[in-house]
Amino acid sequence: MATGDPADAVTDPVLRESLTSSAAVGLTGVLQVIGDPGGTVYLSGGEIIGIKTPGAPSLEVLVLKSGRVPEDGWEAAFSAAAAGTTMSAELITRGLIGAGELEALLRTAVADALFVLACGYVDQCRPEPGPVSVLLPLDPPAEAAWLLAEAERRMNALAAIPGLTGYQRARVQPAPGVVPADLILGGGRDELLALANGRRTPRDLAFALGRGVYATTLELGRMQHEGLLVTTSHRAPPSSLATPQASTAPASTAPASTAPAKTVRAEPAPATSEPANSEPVADHEPAEPAAASEPAPPAEATNGDRPGGHGLTRRRRGRHGDDAGADMSMLLRLLRPRSSGD
Amino acid sequence: MSSLEDSLRRILAVEGVRSAALIDLATGMVVQSAGDEPAALPAIADSLAQEARAAAAAQGPQQPGGGLDEIALNTAGRLQLTKVLDARRPGEGLLLFVDVDRTHANPALATLRIGQAAPSVLA
Repeated sequence: MATGDPADAVTDPVLRESLTSSAAVGLTGVLQVIGDPGGTVYLSGGEIIGIKTPGAPSLEVLVLKSGRVPEDGWEAAFSAAAAGTTMSAELITRGLIGAGELEALLRTAVADALFVLACGYVDQCRPEPGPVSVLLPLDPPAEAAWLLAEAERRMNALAAIPGLTGYQRARVQPAPGVVPADLILGGGRDELLALANGRRTPRDLAFALGRGVYATTLELGRMQHEGLLVTTSHRAPPSSLATPQASTAPASTAPASTAPAKTVRAEPAPATSEPANSEPVADHEPAEPAAASEPAPPAEATNGDRPGGHGLTRRRRGRHGDDAGADMSMLLRLLRPRSSGD
Repeated sequence: MSSLEDSLRRILAVEGVRSAALIDLATGMVVQSAGDEPAALPAIADSLAQEARAAAAAQGPQQPGGGLDEIALNTAGRLQLTKVLDARRPGEGLLLFVDVDRTHANPALATLRIGQAAPSVLA
């Protein structure tokens, strides 16, 4: 188990072995990663075409929250893709994103998701051969060994930041009196300072800003090292890890009639399969494409000690709590000039 | 072949270019690479990303001269160009790193040609 502590900067051995063996046998199907946050790795021919985890923002969250793709454009592409074309093709042909840019973003999103899985808690990994359906598959796929090496590089980079411990669960806030209200830091730090309220973890901030978890954690670590931020507390670890219900969903549960997805034929599916789960996640479950643009709630607000459980349950627009509504107002003020071109 | 790999191969077609890589500025990750890439490319990429962040920070938060566009490093035998692509948000974006053999190219001409080809990498 990797804990996110500097002394433990190696990828989880269970995950490593499972991914390595899945790659060796050329698995086409999913690898259910049961743990905290847990998730689902989608493989085609032993290579990774997508990862879904409540611990890291999906591509949809990244492009919508960053304003890179307008929400109405995404929804239009999604609706058009439901008619039979691929989501990737729709986004590109509509001029919403370049082909190279999309590939780069997908690759960075997958690397971020694997980093989150690798430094989380992994109870077990369960390969499930079968057809794979991913809304925006990484094409060409990524090699498991490359992603594992990248995850380890990231963990080592974080471990090298003095004083950064338990970063996954660390709640941060601005150091008192250090940053004057009218000072502009630049480099994306102002947005982090504005949202670091002592209750949010790096993951929460990553979701709120539409950034990768590693990039967010790295910047928070640097800011903490420079005395701009302080850790107020650490979110409690999960007391029990019963089922992977929140982070996993069999690929077969994707609504084939509405989900524009790449389907890869595979080895025969096993006789038994994971019970169906309705947890919607951006890259795989397109039922509510707009909802992913909302900030993820702080883990403790929705899920107590198990943020990997229902912490990222997507909600419909307009159903923010008071705290989330205030956060959204702040975010809109911060992001409007860039996203609207004002 | 991926779209990115295809794009980087067009960069490789510029005379004197030994290798090209696309690097994520926020993480230092090598997103894609092509050509005769050095073995230590992941470490180089991480350093380049830090270098680009430091150079951007040196401009100050208001960046009166505009955002960082390019970093050029010249040695006796090499020209190493790092161009900023897609910097829509501060601290984020993609870097195009190109390693040019100065003994096989005119550095100024190579810089020009790479600059002309760079915008199409993400298209």
